[in-house]
Formats: sequence, structure tokens, C-alpha cells
Amino acid sequence: MADLLNIEDLHLEFHTYDGVAKVLAGVDLKMQRGDVLGLVGETGCGKSMTALSVPRLIPMPPGKITEGRVTFDGEDILSKSESEMESFRASHLGMIFQDPVTNLNPLFTIREQLVDAVLYQQARGQRVPGRWKGFLPSVRQLRSEAQERAVELMRLTGIPDGDKRIFEYPHQFSGGMRQRVLIAMALAGDPDLLIADEPTTALDVTIQAQILRLIRSLVKQLGLTVLLITHNLGVVARSCERVAVMYSGRVVEESPVRELFKNPKHPYTRGLINAVPQKDVSRGGLIGIPGMIPNLINPPAGCRFHPRCEQAMEICRRQVPAAIAVGAEHKASCFLYPEDA
Amino acid sequence: MSRLLEINHLKKYFPIRGGLLNRQVADFRAVDDVSFTLQEGKTLGLVGESGSGKTTIGKCILRLLEPTSGQILYDGQDITHIKARELRRLRSEIQMIYQAPAASLNGRMTVGQIIGEPLWIHEKLRGDDARDRVLELMTVVGLKEEHYYRYPHEFSGGQQQRIGIARALAVQPRLIVLDEPTSALDVSVQAQILNLLQDLQDQFDLTYLFISHDLGVVRYMCDEVALLYLGKIVEVAKTEVIFEEPKHPYTQALISAIPEPDPDLQREEIIIRGDLSHTFPQGGCPFAPRCHAEKLASCDSVLPPLLEADQGHLVACHLHPALSASSASEPA
Repeated sequence: MADLLNIEDLHLEFHTYDGVAKVLAGVDLKMQRGDVLGLVGETGCGKSMTALSVPRLIPMPPGKITEGRVTFDGEDILSKSESEMESFRASHLGMIFQDPVTNLNPLFTIREQLVDAVLYQQARGQRVPGRWKGFLPSVRQLRSEAQERAVELMRLTGIPDGDKRIFEYPHQFSGGMRQRVLIAMALAGDPDLLIADEPTTALDVTIQAQILRLIRSLVKQLGLTVLLITHNLGVVARSCERVAVMYSGRVVEESPVRELFKNPKHPYTRGLINAVPQKDVSRGGLIGIPGMIPNLINPPAGCRFHPRCEQAMEICRRQVPAAIAVGAEHKASCFLYPEDA
Repeated sequence: MSRLLEINHLKKYFPIRGGLLNRQVADFRAVDDVSFTLQEGKTLGLVGESGSGKTTIGKCILRLLEPTSGQILYDGQDITHIKARELRRLRSEIQMIYQAPAASLNGRMTVGQIIGEPLWIHEKLRGDDARDRVLELMTVVGLKEEHYYRYPHEFSGGQQQRIGIARALAVQPRLIVLDEPTSALDVSVQAQILNLLQDLQDQFDLTYLFISHDLGVVRYMCDEVALLYLGKIVEVAKTEVIFEEPKHPYTQALISAIPEPDPDLQREEIIIRGDLSHTFPQGGCPFAPRCHAEKLASCDSVLPPLLEADQGHLVACHLHPALSASSASEPA
């Protein structure tokens, strides 16, 4: 099957007053239709930047893609013009973000914002091209149709009494409900790919469980493809089928979920899993990763993890490890594993 | 083993104002009749969702907020209403570490000044003496000597939290209120800080009140856990007991919602409905509208008291009656 999303050797730089930050240094990522891929990593590892490169929402300048390709359904995204991008985003992508408060306009009702999203997607998307051009008298009709669709979306995302609550303002919604509204907006254009950037980080655990369950059920119901970005390994274990672990601008390990937790290969992945306080870890048994994430302006040569790695070898300081197959559908970028395994 | 801290029927109400003359129209019950004790050298976890009142309790203990009613006993002494002069002495015994390390450090002071300030206030230490103590504290929390003249913004989140910890330790406190000390940090750094806190506890015989919403972290850090829901304690027990045999439906749901990094883990996932809402039926159990357990007639009408349902295991739920009638009067 052809890949829905293919990111190849993506390099991204940010020009700052202190120098050039090498934010992404050769990211490779593939997704197929129906995939639920978790992208995990700590602050500043480039997981959000990787995801934002798909809808091309990275501000340029100061950002600059120096190398690499991003293709979606066979189309090259990086060479599209801005207006082509707009219709591409409307018809293929949905995004939800971390903070449901700042992503809704407090001055407008949910109805205005959700109906706008539906109408915008219809007008820009390829599926209903120019639908309301020349039909100005029917704008009211379109709005009421769009409102029906909006209520339908609210029902789909588990907001009770959508037909009444649609007239309310964002402040009348709780955090979990606001996140559901944003998911409804993201689904308005019937997207092929849903990019969820830390969708549950700002929420309480009980609400987090509700939202994750909602995303899982949408995957089943609508056959969505989801790129779930998170720093929480527990969230990944619960919701994803495949995981890609990022460290300092590169994907260091990629594998099916079970395999990654049972058999982590990259020392960073192991460190990350050991750092989570789990059931049977007793007092003093938690192992952190020494040191901190590297500076992106002067990243360490070779493997960027080597200054914090206990198993670092001479070669790690000189050369960047390539992704090597270490098992069925399991790849790791580390010199600990022989090339032909 | 002695009781270092004892809280009796603590209440903190905030006024809700409204109407034409902006009079007080109602109370917002942030903390509503909370009682617990903390043994010297132990760690008590205070767990709850946002809005459950856990930080308010922490602030009341430091007297950063004046409690509406109730009693706070520190080392046998009632500190609920002590005067400013005594309060100052008390503050060298009780310290607090905050959630957002960047916001809790003054950006215009160097690390040396930040850690040295409490030494000047409480012990009138200055100059070389203070400098020596500060450097010693910095080594204890894992900072380097060359960090002395740097400013907070030059540090990562984890390092900033170490500065906050050093500042709290400067006055040699016995009790530290830790308000979500690691929730702003990445996991690999969180592990470092949690281990540091445990080492310090062993080294200096500290007592911790550990406020957190992360049950995984609480399980790792605490000896005993108290669960809060809408300003009320719903369950208290030893950590192992809470995680093995949670009795209150809310606790059960919270534990089942911990995202464990183990894809093979088979467990029943309890998803509780709705959100935390302060408009629960007056008189009834605050958790009743979201509860997934079997519903009794009394759930909506009678507030369940916190009773000893098992040895050392207190639960506020009608489904779990007290061990015996005599233990019902006074929760330990």
C-alpha cells in the first residue's frame, strides 16, 4: 500500500540571534492510511516541528527547511503554493492542539466558530468546489445546513445537547468539552489525517481518559489516520499502534507499540521507559537519564545522545548512526546493533 | 513516631460576590472540613484533580491563606492564629516548593542571592559565611559552584527546580510542602528530581506533604495518600493499600485512568462521566453525579462521613460502612 504520509530526511533550521538552531536533523517518518502513530519525545526534541511541517505551519523565516521531502498521498507538499496549501489543509488535514482555551475565540459562540469551520472546509476543500459562488440567496440555507452538520459533529465527539449548547460561549464549556469542540472542528472537513499535538496534556487524568477513548472510537468509526504527539509514554501505550521516539531532531527508534515497551533497543528509549514511575518500582528504584537535552545551536557531533548515553562508544562521537532494522518492523538508530542484523 | 502536623476540620471558603451592591452572595468551598495527620519523617500525598483544593490546603498550612475555620497543629502547637512574629519563626520550619520553577524564582536575582536570601532573613547570615552555606546547599542539590553568579533564565526547568529546592533547604526546615514539584518537567528530569527529594528526605529527616495530580508519581514518593474531591477527603490509606484495594469509586476510577506505559496491561477501564462540578446536590455526596458504582438512596441526600472502613483505611462512601460504630465519631 502506498504511504499516506512520507517524511524523508527532513532538515529544519531556525535562525536566531545566537546562531542557527538545527531543530530537525534528518527526520524519516512514514504513515499509512488507518495508522495510529505516536510521536514521543521530551521538550525540544522536535516532535511538534515535525508535525507542523505537514500542514506547513512553521513560520518561515525564521524557520528554513534545508533538506528533505514531505509527500502526502504522493503529492509533494513543500513545493505547493500558499493558496494550494490552504485548500490542501482544508480537505486533507485536521489538527488539535494542547491548550483548548487559547484555541477558541472567547467572543464568539461555539456555533459561529464551528459553522465557520464547516463552511470554510466546504468552500476550500476539493470535494465541494465553489459551492456557494453565484448562489448568494442560499447563504442562509447553507448556514443552516452547516449548523446541522455542526450539531452532528458535536454528537459525534460526545458533547451532549449539541443543539442547545451550540449557542453557548467557550467559557461555559469545561476543558474536556472545549477539547471535544476542537476535535469536532478538526473533523469538519472529513480529514484524511488528524494531527493531535499533546491533546490531553492540559487535562486532568479522568478527562484525559475520556478524550483518548473518544479518539480511539473515532479511529474505529471513521477510519481516521492519527498522528498523536505526546511526551507521555502511558498515553502512547494506551492509544497507538506504532511509536516513533524522537531525540534532538531525529527519530531514534520506531516500532509497533508492544515491541517498543517489551523490547526497547535504543538506550534513550530504555532510559525514558525506566524514568516513568511504574507499579513495581520501589523507593529509590527510579532511574533518570543523567544530564539534559543538548543545545540545538551547537549540538554534539555524531549521535546527539552520546553525552548522556552510558553505552557510548568511540564511533558515537564521530558518526551519526543510521536507522537499522533490529526486528520485524522495528528500527533503531544506534551503533550498538550490527548493520546486517 | 510523632505527629508533626495535624489538621482538624480545616475549612477555607472564598466569597462569591454579586448583585447590585457586590455583596457576598455565596461561599466557594475550596476546602471543606478536611482532617488528616502527618507523621514526622513520612510523606503524605495529597491527590486530586484541578479544583479539588489541594494547593489551598498547602497554602493554609503555611498561613499564606487564612483558614476560615478549623485548626492546624504543628508539632503540638496550634498555629492557626499565631501572630506575625511567631509566624516568621515558624516559616523557617515549614517551607514550600512550587510547581512552576521559573515563576517562583526572582529573575533579577542571581542564584547565590536567591538561595542566600532566606539565610539573611532568618539567621542574619551575610558575606562569606552565607556564601559558604549557599555553596554547600548548591552541592547538596546537584548544582555546580560556577552557577553561583548566574540568573534563573540561564537554567533548564530541572535545574531551576533544584534552585528552588536549595532555597527551601537553606533554613533547615522540618516540613516541606511540595506543590506539584515535577509536573512542569520532562520524565527523565522528573526522575532526577524525585530521587533528589528522596535522598534529601533521608539525609535531613524531612517530612513531606506531597501535592500532586499524578498518581504514578505519588505511588513512588508517598507513604500515605489522601484523595481529595471538591475540597473534601474521600479516602485516606497507606499507599500500597490505596493502589491495591481502592474502596471509593472515585479512587478506583482515578487509578484506572493512570496511563501505564505497558500495552499488555489488562484492566477494566472505568471512565467517569462529566467534569468536576461545584454544583452538586447540596447535602448529598459531591461525587454522586459522576459516580459509576451502585447508587443508594442516601447518595443524593446524605453527605457520607469519612469513616474507618478497614484498619487505617478511611473512606467517605455510603457503600463502605464503618468497621464498628465506635470508630465513627473521630477520624484518626
